[in-house]
Amino acid sequence: MLVYAGVLAYAAARVPSFAALVAAIGVFGALLLVFVLVRRADDLLPWALAVLGVAYTVSLFLHGSAVDEAAPLVAAGLLLCGELAAWSLDERHAIAAERAVVLRRGLGLAALALASLGAAAAVIAFAASSAGGGLAWTTLGAVAAVLVIGVATELVRRTA
Amino acid sequence: MTRITSPRLAGYAGLAAIALIAGLAAGRVELVALAAPFALAAVAGAALARDPAIEATLELDRERALESEEVEATLELLSPPGGDRVDVLLPLPDELRSRASNPRAVALAPGEPRTLSVPIRCERWGAFVVGPLLVRARDRLGFHSWEARVGGRAPLRVYPSVETLRALLPPLETQVFIGDQVSRAKGDGIEFADVREWEPGDRVRRVNWRASARRGGLWVNEQHPERNTDVVLFLDTFADVRSAGRGTLDLTVRAATSLAHRYLQRKDRVGLVSFGGYLSWLVPASGTHQLYRIVDSLLQMDIVLSFATKGVDILPPRTLPPKALVLALTPLLDPRSAAALLDLRARGFDLVVIEVSPLPFVQPGKGELAQVSYRLWRLSRESLRARYEQAGVPVIEWLDGVPLNVPLEEVAALRRQARPARA
Repeated sequence: MLVYAGVLAYAAARVPSFAALVAAIGVFGALLLVFVLVRRADDLLPWALAVLGVAYTVSLFLHGSAVDEAAPLVAAGLLLCGELAAWSLDERHAIAAERAVVLRRGLGLAALALASLGAAAAVIAFAASSAGGGLAWTTLGAVAAVLVIGVATELVRRTA
Repeated sequence: MTRITSPRLAGYAGLAAIALIAGLAAGRVELVALAAPFALAAVAGAALARDPAIEATLELDRERALESEEVEATLELLSPPGGDRVDVLLPLPDELRSRASNPRAVALAPGEPRTLSVPIRCERWGAFVVGPLLVRARDRLGFHSWEARVGGRAPLRVYPSVETLRALLPPLETQVFIGDQVSRAKGDGIEFADVREWEPGDRVRRVNWRASARRGGLWVNEQHPERNTDVVLFLDTFADVRSAGRGTLDLTVRAATSLAHRYLQRKDRVGLVSFGGYLSWLVPASGTHQLYRIVDSLLQMDIVLSFATKGVDILPPRTLPPKALVLALTPLLDPRSAAALLDLRARGFDLVVIEVSPLPFVQPGKGELAQVSYRLWRLSRESLRARYEQAGVPVIEWLDGVPLNVPLEEVAALRRQARPARA
């Protein structure tokens, strides 16, 4: 919840004049996250993150066209928020876990957060570099998008 | 193992796809940056998915235990690829309790067996099967889990604790085999019975020379022979009244075990009749084997709901031998068992009823109607006892917490003063 609040506060602070709008969207997401944690509705967890993502996107568009250099932190924060919430949901049953189990998950989560921060930073850095535009880059982006959508569809099919 | 994928994985992939498309459409790199961690997590989740293929063995340090004793269960887990988190649950029936954490989460190193100990306290008698284990393995980030039942089953027999009985009820008549019970009949034995005139065939060493000198003829001593007895434990298993983990069936089984143990120690033959929804019996026999047969039969005793009308006619004749002492342990709740016992008395059996009182397990309701119902119920029980007494059957109430010696002494005292008439 703290990570969620941090990301939301950052998004709202970027556009002081529209902070109420961003905060309203974010609070809705926060309530959804609380609902997820209290009712153990892990199916809805991505939706809570999506709402926060929407709040950030609104602040992005309202702020202007300048690239937000803190976007990797926001991205890593969103993922961290989701993972911590999922960890909390996984511990809903009173199971005595030995220290090595907790340590492994904690280290795994830290590694994932760092890697995601690196990946998001790399995206921003690539965009800032003067590699030039053109059809090739657009095609590459489209292919990447199609690949990601394909992976998402496959994963949804498997979990359904 | 059954694999379960967290809905979070598909959700992350979906979020990444939406953010990526939105980023491309709007030309905002920040949205693509938002997509990157979720895409990475989805890929990492897919890459981490390795079936842990957990193998397990379950062993108990012994197969037999007494109530309130502890048995150690040893679980050995092995996963060739290893497991970051393996939740292990040893399912136990209510009568067995684990003092250690159950379930517990452990980490398994690749290919290295891991041994866990679960001390199990046997709270109540019964025949149980422990296992198989329920295991759930998760990958490091919890994107996938695998569930399975692994390990074998281990039988565990928990015997009821035996109460020390100072004295036993002597039957009215003994059988023909050698035993510890002094018979009322006269014959070869140790206990002096009477003197009588010498008859051809009497041994010289049996001549009572003092009596012969006084009476001017040969007189011989007569003794009471030591004989065995047949005891049939008649258990009423039509109903059980339970409260706070204790009940009339528990008391019945404990009493039956104690009585069987003690009578068999005395070289008597002991049989068992479980008269209830599920009818079972053991023909009277003696020895340690019979004790194990009886206890094993008692362990499987349970209340089976039945509306079938049953009488003693359906019992095989050898189950109830003539001159046997029938010790009935009943809560006096079911009219079928009450009628069967009266029928036994009418057939001339030496019958004693130990009423395993359900009163400590019954709480009367608070309303006036409930109080009246409770009093009526107690009156109907009194009436049933009176019917038994009219038939010459001693009925002794045995309350929870009172030693079994007490009702046995009461019956013995009653039988010393009032001898049942032959039906």
